[in-house]
Amino acid sequence: MLRPEGFEQVEDTVRAVLGDVLGLDGGRLASFDATTPLFGALPELDSMAVAGVLTELEDRLGILIEDDEIDGEMLETFGALSRFAAAKALT
Amino acid sequence: MIDRYDWAGGPEAMLRFGPARGPVVIAALPPFEEANRTRTFLVTLLRALAVLGVAGLLPDLPGTGESLVPGEEVRLRDWRGAFAAAARKAERPYSIAIRAGALIDTDAELAGRWHFAPQTGSALVRELLRTRSLVDGLPEGVDLDDPHDNGRPLSLAGNMISRALLRDLHQAEPAPGAAPLRRVALAGDPAEAELRVEGTPLWRRSEPANDSVLAQTLARDIRDWIESCGG
Repeated sequence: MLRPEGFEQVEDTVRAVLGDVLGLDGGRLASFDATTPLFGALPELDSMAVAGVLTELEDRLGILIEDDEIDGEMLETFGALSRFAAAKALT
Repeated sequence: MIDRYDWAGGPEAMLRFGPARGPVVIAALPPFEEANRTRTFLVTLLRALAVLGVAGLLPDLPGTGESLVPGEEVRLRDWRGAFAAAARKAERPYSIAIRAGALIDTDAELAGRWHFAPQTGSALVRELLRTRSLVDGLPEGVDLDDPHDNGRPLSLAGNMISRALLRDLHQAEPAPGAAPLRRVALAGDPAEAELRVEGTPLWRRSEPANDSVLAQTLARDIRDWIESCGG
């Protein structure tokens, strides 16, 4: 398994996964920062896409996300999702 | 060209691409939602192979595409048996499979297997159940370890799937087999692979998309690999 070196690498992975699942272009992705709202704000991000994002994050970061850990809070902003992923991947 | 093949459960349709002579590949899409997301790409790949002199077969499996078999009656052995029957329409074909399509070529007599981002059955089932639980909640009483669980089929991402098929898939692995195996993964995917390529995981896209540059790259890899296996 590849273990990410640090928070920035996790953030880059989250950004890439959102781009791949939602089909967002590079410019839009590059503008994502910690406060960018996700679930409810991006029409492309429906429940099915959420499943794709989480599963792809598991594969690329070598982490496991339990279904009962999935809630609206972790998906609220780009920063919240990156912190959730980093807490899993960097410990 | 649209051809057909016969398996134990009756006739099914099969698309044919490329020349009448030369090496042949037979292709397996991943099941369910990922089939919708990767079909255009696979057809692009088969057309690119045809230009390189490699013929292609794309069988509709029971319960998919134009098949008259109801989806909720299908078992994994039906898909594997049908794929093996379709493969007998060619001489020494090579399989090409995307994602969990790699679970379907196991029973066919093949000169080699080429798997792109192969997925295990347990990963597929986990993802199906996760999607269902996020979209409308999981119905109670689904027990993948209970061989006698004959409850109602589950509606998963728009497909009716029997519990028996879920159990089959849950235990299924891509078979290494005796024939040569080549695994190709996307850059960023930590899975074991003989080749890594840059590209998009189209099977994740919420809106179906295509990647013709990746299709050209993969077509050349398949053509070269078939040549190295002896054609």
